[in-house]
Amino acid sequence: MRAASAWGHGLPGGREASAGDVAETMVASLRIWFVALRISVEERLVYRADFALSTLMRFLPIVTQIFLWWAVFEGIQTVGGGRETIRGYSYNDFIAYYLLTMLSRAFSSMPGLASGITRDIRDGTVKKYLIQPVDMLSFLLAYRVAHKLVYYAVAAGPFALVFFLCRGYFPGWPDPPVLAAYVASLVMAFLLGFFLEATIGMIGFWFLEVRSLLFVYMLFNFFLSGHMFPLDMLPGMWGDVVGALPLQYLAYFPTAVFLGKVSGADLAGGVCIQLAWVVFFITTARVAMARGLRRYSGYGG
Amino acid sequence: MAVIEIEGLAKSYRVYQKQEGLLASIRGLFRRRYRTVEAVCGIDMTVERGEFVAFLGPNGAGKTTTLKLLSGVINPTSGTARVLGHIPWKRENAYRRRFALVMGQKNQLWWDLPANESFRLHQEIYRIERGRFERTRDELTSMLEVRHLLGQPVRELSLGERMKMELIAALLHSPEVLFLDEPTIGLDVRAQYTIQNFLRYYQQERRVTILLTSHYMKDVSVLCRRVVIINSGRIVYDGSLNGIIDRFSGHKVISLQFTDGRVPGSLGGLGEVLSPEPPRAKLRVPRGRVTEVLTHLLAQHHVEDISVEDPPLEEVIARMFARCEERPTECELGHVPELLGEE
Amino acid sequence: MTAVPERPDYLRVFLTFARNSLVREMIFRGNFIIDTISSMAWVLINLAFYTLIFRYTPMLGADTGWGKYQFFLFLATTLIVNSLVRGLFMENADEFGELIRTGNLDFVLLKPMDTQFLVSLNRIEWSALGNLVLGLLLLFYALGKVDYRPGPVQVVLYPLYIGCGVAILYSLMITLAASSVWLVRNQSLFNFWFYITNFSRYPMEIYRGDFGTPLRLFFTFIVPVLVVVNVPARLLVRPLAPQSVEDAVLPLFALVAAAGSLAASRWVFNRALVSYRSASS
Repeated sequence: MRAASAWGHGLPGGREASAGDVAETMVASLRIWFVALRISVEERLVYRADFALSTLMRFLPIVTQIFLWWAVFEGIQTVGGGRETIRGYSYNDFIAYYLLTMLSRAFSSMPGLASGITRDIRDGTVKKYLIQPVDMLSFLLAYRVAHKLVYYAVAAGPFALVFFLCRGYFPGWPDPPVLAAYVASLVMAFLLGFFLEATIGMIGFWFLEVRSLLFVYMLFNFFLSGHMFPLDMLPGMWGDVVGALPLQYLAYFPTAVFLGKVSGADLAGGVCIQLAWVVFFITTARVAMARGLRRYSGYGG
Repeated sequence: MAVIEIEGLAKSYRVYQKQEGLLASIRGLFRRRYRTVEAVCGIDMTVERGEFVAFLGPNGAGKTTTLKLLSGVINPTSGTARVLGHIPWKRENAYRRRFALVMGQKNQLWWDLPANESFRLHQEIYRIERGRFERTRDELTSMLEVRHLLGQPVRELSLGERMKMELIAALLHSPEVLFLDEPTIGLDVRAQYTIQNFLRYYQQERRVTILLTSHYMKDVSVLCRRVVIINSGRIVYDGSLNGIIDRFSGHKVISLQFTDGRVPGSLGGLGEVLSPEPPRAKLRVPRGRVTEVLTHLLAQHHVEDISVEDPPLEEVIARMFARCEERPTECELGHVPELLGEE
Repeated sequence: MTAVPERPDYLRVFLTFARNSLVREMIFRGNFIIDTISSMAWVLINLAFYTLIFRYTPMLGADTGWGKYQFFLFLATTLIVNSLVRGLFMENADEFGELIRTGNLDFVLLKPMDTQFLVSLNRIEWSALGNLVLGLLLLFYALGKVDYRPGPVQVVLYPLYIGCGVAILYSLMITLAASSVWLVRNQSLFNFWFYITNFSRYPMEIYRGDFGTPLRLFFTFIVPVLVVVNVPARLLVRPLAPQSVEDAVLPLFALVAAAGSLAASRWVFNRALVSYRSASS
């Protein structure tokens, strides 16, 4: 009986979790996942004009960046006496940098995740996670993965086209180990983005008005993740502070890996730190969710 | 003098048919399927000044579309209409100052602000002179018992109170013609009653011309002498309220109370027994057989009380609509009496 | 009974809109403050970015005259134009799609006033005022840092061309919003708007070369977003004496572009109304 109670916590009627239950849960979550996938495909396809426009438009800001940095480098050359790089970034590096951060962001940005969680908390939708045998974070993650996959399926074309057209800006493919590190850091960027933003969303269990907080996060995210410029440009102390934050792993770090700005021991160390941040935020999100739900059910919804 | 003249008014529009399923929605990317909906197909009618006309019809019959056409909010596919001598869909300011449209399911007041702020906006838009504006507003708010709510944000008002405010907003510029689309929908009985009373009083006082659509027969029977029934975009009936029963119901209801406290079992042979609640019962009998059945009843049974009534209006109309949905083509003007007689 | 004045009084209606919007913003004071602060923070972040860029380069492009403080004047002009457009029209254009979707445009069509006016100015976003103030502060700060002093002609022309810029951006925005009649859902509309106006955020001199020149011409003469900020900003940083044909033509063209865009937007708006009115039930 002792062993059984260790297993059977939380299951109604003291039933023990059997292999069959586990399989059932897996089938159930697989089904949820497919439903999520189908819904997001259909959502995207119904509004065709919108859909086509938005994928295409996403690349327009790159065009202005190309011209802006061209003008910046021109300005440098007129007075700088032949200096052709900014903190080790050539003009081509800058353009490649922006293109690659767009790719990182495609993995790490989680539109509507935190705000969705806080909304669910406010309007009581979270109750369903208390009643149904579905784990909130797993469900949201499954939905997000489905959503992202659909997005990649559609965006792959435009991305490939733009990267091909801009191939001249790239320094070429990195070595296989670096490439592997790059892919790993992209996947971790996705996980980090997800769990970081989920954690922020969970704050909604304690405070009703999270909108301002979300905006501050978005702002910092945009500026400090390296989406706006290579973080190496930050002078002195600023660089150190930003280097200590997890945000840089959402956009800057993977890109810097690809461009060979981080190598050797720094690369290995960076990947480890990124992994540590991912683990950290998985933990915080889980803890926050568990506490939040307990608090929520304690109040009786 | 005719205020509203409608001739052959028709409106059809295309709607996009969303396809179910994944493959179909992909196909939808390339080719969209549309279907044409005939909302109104050839309406003729004339309304005199000071008339209060009710539009009845099942959902989707074309009532709202007709009101929108007369408001100039949408363009007709064919036909003509004149309201106060104007063609509505030209949307001349001179016309738009003279009528109002109230839609029970939509609201135009600023949601977060007190109704009074929206009223002031209307004052500016319609250029209502200040003194007159305040007089009209105060009079209307007192009549509808919402004067004390003027300073309260609209979102905090109950549905009934909000509807009253919507109505007031529409009446501030003293329109001569008023189109009311389901003004009492979803309201509780008390609010419905207040609005009915108000509309009746207001219409008699100001001699405005009103077209009303409503699902509540009570609204119609209290307010309107003239009823126009629309179905599938066509006018099926245009006449008095009582005329509907004469025309569409071939039955009468006989209410009986028996002396011995029991309802005789043989009653079923005489007509349709509606609600046997001993010692009372109701019997539905075709009109032509009423005398015969009455004679029989009085001769064979001990009847304490007896009365003959028309069936309730709601029921007549509901039966008619149900019929129309089953066999819409038969619902043209000429066919209806036969259709209902056959039951 | 006195005769009812027929002509609607647009100014008074506008003032009532502005007043009602202010009352509303004050009801949701928290949101108002957040909106104001966050949009100002956004500006400051951009300012930080450009400050960073000018740590590395003295000028945008070779010999264009757009040094750090000249560019700050450009930035201030962008801010002023954008905050005006946002404050007056952004929310309304956004709402326009919503009016079409919900059918509430019906109510606007009933009013004895110009529909485009009512749709475009229904709500004033007072929180944009913060950015306007920030823009003016930056303007005066940067003016103090540059050597060139604009003369009285420029001082008079500057607001005029700000007005032209606002008119051009407004027209673009309302045209895009009106297109939601045909596209049904228009989520990407403001992304689209953001991306297009993105081009207007830099001095037009940076668009050069085989690819840049056609781009510059396109966004100057076809979709005139480059005119929006460039023309007024140039007034502040350099003498009126034009250095090329394009320089000389541009100020005149800006006036034509403003009038033309307004006319075009009105045409599209009216077409959209006709479509709405024959499609809705």
